Amino acid sequence: METTGNPYRVYRVTWVILLIITVAMLLAEKFHLPHIFLVLFLCAFMMVKATMIAGNFMHLRFERRNLAVMVAAGILLTSLTLFAFITPESHHVRKLSAPPELPTATEGAHEK
Amino acid sequence: MTDAASTHMAPLEAHWGGGAAPFGATWQKTMMWIFIVTDGLLFSGLLSGYGFLRQAAGVWPHQSQVFSIPFIALMTFILITSSMTMGTAVTAARLGDRRKALHNLLFTIVGGAAFLSCQAYEWSHFIHEGARLNHNPWGVPQFAASFFVLTGFHGSHVFSGLVILIITAIRWAMGKTPAQGVEMAGLYWHFVDLVWVFIFTLFYLL
Repeated sequence: METTGNPYRVYRVTWVILLIITVAMLLAEKFHLPHIFLVLFLCAFMMVKATMIAGNFMHLRFERRNLAVMVAAGILLTSLTLFAFITPESHHVRKLSAPPELPTATEGAHEK
Repeated sequence: MTDAASTHMAPLEAHWGGGAAPFGATWQKTMMWIFIVTDGLLFSGLLSGYGFLRQAAGVWPHQSQVFSIPFIALMTFILITSSMTMGTAVTAARLGDRRKALHNLLFTIVGGAAFLSCQAYEWSHFIHEGARLNHNPWGVPQFAASFFVLTGFHGSHVFSGLVILIITAIRWAMGKTPAQGVEMAGLYWHFVDLVWVFIFTLFYLL
């Protein structure tokens, strides 16, 4: 861990940055961004916040690199794999649960 | 095994063959990190399940019409602030400043209790409006179920973190817990904060 200067400063600076990011995330919707940009913006800031908490509060950036890689890769890769495999299935479920399309008037007349 | 291969494997075995600390951390800290990874995977599964339900539902209530987002922001502020005081407590404990460590542990406990109180209020308000696990007034049954499961699991972690912090503070005040004990409690508390970052963004904002 850093030993020079005020040892508590890193926590205060991290706290201020986390609060600024949180406020930016809350205000993001007011700018009426296209939905995809809003999602990307929020997800990017979410990852920045998570990295700051893990790195500065949990001291992961002061630990050996193999520990940091085990934690980050373990959680992130598993989450991404899980999400990538189940997301296509959710579209399938949505199609199955959608109400069946009613025949149009012309189709009904044709059957008669 | 060839000579070249055995030469290559020797340092690896010395590192991972036992009696060493491959992660450069004590066994307590290593085990705590492994626990955090496994617990992180639990929340990863829950959030993926929530993503699945939301996409499968097609429509989803707009959160700002259901929840008070400023109130959720206040909860986030409380949790981030408690993480700051916890980090200060860990460093103070390491530096031998017992008084500062204890004060910051107590601030963290107050923050955790305030967060849990806010969550209890939010739950009671949500239930009062008619939300149940299998139905709710907003038309998508999975919405309330996702809310209860995600925030319930997180709240139970905050509660257990609070119990751990209270025990750690009492033992620290009595001089029965070393600085590493405070550090382990701190790791767990920061993890709870970390999980909230994902729930706050993915459930309340998106």
